[in-house]
Amino acid sequence: MKISAALKPIKENMNPDDTKLSTLLHQGRVSPPLPPRFQENVWRRIDANAVPAKCDSWLDALAALVLRPRFAYATVTALVLAGALLGAHQGAQLAKQDAQARYVAMVAPNALR
Amino acid sequence: MNRSLIVVLGALALSAAVFAGSYFVGQRAGVIYCANPADDLSWLRTEFHLNDAELARVRQLHESYLPQCAKMCVLIAAKKAEIQAALANGTNVTAAAQEKLTELGEVRAQCQGQMLRHFIAVSQAMPPEEGRRYLAEMEKITLGSHEEIEQSMSDHPGHEHGTN
Repeated sequence: MKISAALKPIKENMNPDDTKLSTLLHQGRVSPPLPPRFQENVWRRIDANAVPAKCDSWLDALAALVLRPRFAYATVTALVLAGALLGAHQGAQLAKQDAQARYVAMVAPNALR
Repeated sequence: MNRSLIVVLGALALSAAVFAGSYFVGQRAGVIYCANPADDLSWLRTEFHLNDAELARVRQLHESYLPQCAKMCVLIAAKKAEIQAALANGTNVTAAAQEKLTELGEVRAQCQGQMLRHFIAVSQAMPPEEGRRYLAEMEKITLGSHEEIEQSMSDHPGHEHGTN
């Protein structure tokens, strides 16, 4: 409470357009020397993080696509159609094999062959 | 676990379940729609594209053949029983057992001849091309089974008969 009350007149007196103050503030900033091979290390860390980030984004994109209603409806429709057609074809083949086996068992029982 | 991974795996599991369910339902429907258990000749009709007149002729041949076939079955079963009785009382193949084996072979040969004559008669009741296909198919099924056994015996080491 006391500190904010003390800073209040200073804030009121500050002028953001004061160029002299800005220059002084820039000159007063200390820039420590960069460690050796700083830039190279930065790129190395960026590279190291690049792969998981890419994988995540790929998975996220796929998840977002899957959750899209239009895509989900289209996929379900395609799967139902493909499954039913393939199953019906297989069922017809099974019925044919069964009918053939019944006929052969009738005209040529195993005991006679 | 990553949320996106769970979503993708869940979608894959759901897709597999949807496909499997549709496949199963389609397969059942296919079997029910195509099967005709009431008619023993339904396979001939569909496979060899027979019309009503051809099917009626084939049915007539089929019905006259079945009693002969049943008679042969009874004869073969009787011969097998005689062979078993002849083999039951000893460890050697006796002359009587050998005779019964020969008789069984003769009955089987008669039966196969009768079967082939029936197949030829049925094939002649069909359109020529379909008849040839039917005969080849039936010969493969009825005589081919022996060929497979004989082939497997000659392929087996120690069964190279006549290859000295």
